[in-house]
Amino acid sequence: MFRPSPSLQVRHPDLIMDIFVQQLVNSLSVASVTILIGIGITLIFGLAGIVNFAHGEFLMVGGMATWFMVGTGMNFFVALVLAGLLVGALGFAAERCLFRFTLNRPMNGFIMSIGLSVILQHAVIRVFNEFQKSITDPVGLVWTIGGVDIIAMRAIVVAITAVIVAITYFGISRSRYGMALRASVSDRDTAELMGIPVRRYVTGVFIYGSLLAGIGGALMISLFPITPFTGSVIIIRGFAVSLIGGLGNVGGAVVGGLVLGLVDGLSAGYGYPEWTDAYSLVVMILILVLRPQGLLGGTLGPKAS
Amino acid sequence: MRQLGLGLAVVAAGLAMALQTARADEELPIGVIAAQSGSFVSAGNTIVGAANLAAQQINDAGGIKVGDKTYKIKLYIRDNRTDVNVTIAAARELVNDIGVKAIWGTETHDFSVSMAKITGPAKVLQFSGNSSLGAVLDDKAVAEDGWLHYTFQSEPQEWQRSGSTAKGVLSLLTPQLKSPPKHSVVFVGNDATGQYLSSHYVKALEAEGQKVDLVQYPPDTTDFSPLLTRIKGMKPDIVHFWYNGDSTLTAFPQALKLGVAPSYFLFGVDPGIYQERSLKADVPVTMSCVPVCWGSSPYPEVKQYFDKYFGLGAAKGPQSSVSLLYYDYFFWYAKALEKVGKIDDPDAVVAELLKSDYKGVVSPVPLVFNKHHQVTFATEVCMVEPNTSDKFKCAVEQPPAAPPPGDNGG
Repeated sequence: MFRPSPSLQVRHPDLIMDIFVQQLVNSLSVASVTILIGIGITLIFGLAGIVNFAHGEFLMVGGMATWFMVGTGMNFFVALVLAGLLVGALGFAAERCLFRFTLNRPMNGFIMSIGLSVILQHAVIRVFNEFQKSITDPVGLVWTIGGVDIIAMRAIVVAITAVIVAITYFGISRSRYGMALRASVSDRDTAELMGIPVRRYVTGVFIYGSLLAGIGGALMISLFPITPFTGSVIIIRGFAVSLIGGLGNVGGAVVGGLVLGLVDGLSAGYGYPEWTDAYSLVVMILILVLRPQGLLGGTLGPKAS
Repeated sequence: MRQLGLGLAVVAAGLAMALQTARADEELPIGVIAAQSGSFVSAGNTIVGAANLAAQQINDAGGIKVGDKTYKIKLYIRDNRTDVNVTIAAARELVNDIGVKAIWGTETHDFSVSMAKITGPAKVLQFSGNSSLGAVLDDKAVAEDGWLHYTFQSEPQEWQRSGSTAKGVLSLLTPQLKSPPKHSVVFVGNDATGQYLSSHYVKALEAEGQKVDLVQYPPDTTDFSPLLTRIKGMKPDIVHFWYNGDSTLTAFPQALKLGVAPSYFLFGVDPGIYQERSLKADVPVTMSCVPVCWGSSPYPEVKQYFDKYFGLGAAKGPQSSVSLLYYDYFFWYAKALEKVGKIDDPDAVVAELLKSDYKGVVSPVPLVFNKHHQVTFATEVCMVEPNTSDKFKCAVEQPPAAPPPGDNGG
């Protein structure tokens, strides 16, 4: 096997601190999109009890829809909202037509979602084509502060993610809806006897998680090109984030995303670059061995009844 | 009775005419195995596009005259779903059930090698556009009793392509930089193809006097900023984005924003795509196609080819030029069949291909197979003027005569 050159390390000492700070900034932006995907998965997996492997394709559809709308001349931020609503509607259709029939058999839902992911990939290829899609950077600015480059659109993505995290966190932990939802996860039968419309809540969580995937796809295409197969790559990280943090735990998804982002950024900068993915997955395995409930604790995920 | 006799005569005449028509339009079954779904679809679809165009042109021109018969090509196209097991199943079906005479495809080394283990024993010719086949096409493998006797590599050997590309990149970039470039970083995906291809390209750059660092990234990476920041710290004169056009198109805009290097080379990115995406850089950027570019070709016959190729509905993508690794060989194969005068003598066809040449679209120099069943042609490299998306200057540097020091040529 051809080995990397031994001179891979930074050879200019004056750059060392700038490069280190740049890697920390990179880690934050790497984490932000992952957190958004992780929150959607952690809600649907941890609270609604549905293992939706097509969640990555929902994100991809959001990105493709954004590409199409921006291509017609629409403002990116308007397209972002519409992409979220479109994928939310897709989530509603998927939950009503498919996943609601598998609530008592999560494994059926899991297999069904794999089929759905392949169907969505090929539907997008059929409607558009197989090639990568990209849009022009909606902001197009780079701020240089003390030798560190901060790409403006990445900063906006971090800010949007922070707002969504805050809304979701307070919605789940403080609102009546959130409390009822958590009660129905703890004991579905008792929650139903108390008059909580559990099925409707599951649908609501699925729609909200899908909406986040749509927004995540729109934000992703503002940073990177996407292909019909982008979702199947990103989904692994989404599940890793939700499991590291603790299923159903929004704060956990944030911590999980930051951990993976930091490991990615620093390992790419200072480790063997070709092993970047392996480092973060090793961290995930270690955390799950040492804290099976995730860093911040969560639900046990879907249960067959 | 007379009426019955007349009727029988009419039926007999009709049958004779039908037989005559059938004889005039005999079918030559040819297989195509390519990824029409899965992760290699953008390369796979170009094989299908090239095959459809070539078959249509040959058939419209009257078909292939072999002995006293005329054959029309009938394509049997199979989607391998970017899966080696599906590829093997498709090859078995085409060879054993349909009885194709030759197969075009596939797009990756290990798939092509798996196919060759089926086409070889059945004496079915195989044309595969993988430079990495050079690792297995040796004297023993291509001998008459060898397992690759019927396999042809329709892309140049990697040291030739790497040498042609390195010379083209440096000849275009050197006049644009304040001082001659000395330090190159090759940035490549860490998969089997990336490892194989980059090993030759690094040697080619070193042969041109470059000090080279190799940085590999995990396949399917989307956020390249941490890796690019690392490269920026190495202060390169040129960053060469090697091998995977899609990954390059993801990484390159990130590199521009981070100001990673004073110049870049993008392998497998067509000027047409650069223009379509309105990419702009304030530093010189070169790019190369596999093998010639549809977005800015110096050859009129290449332009005509792509007009017809896209005219059949093929999408314009970064890898559309890959279709030219497959197109010419339909005509060359047809010419060999006509010369041999039989379609059921694959050994004679192989011998004819090895002693003949063919002036195709892919190269102004006639194509010739060497003793290891490999062709040679140059790779086109183009440079876009800084701050523009559509002003290109292109160069075609012929491959070196021999592998560079340290490159075993495999």
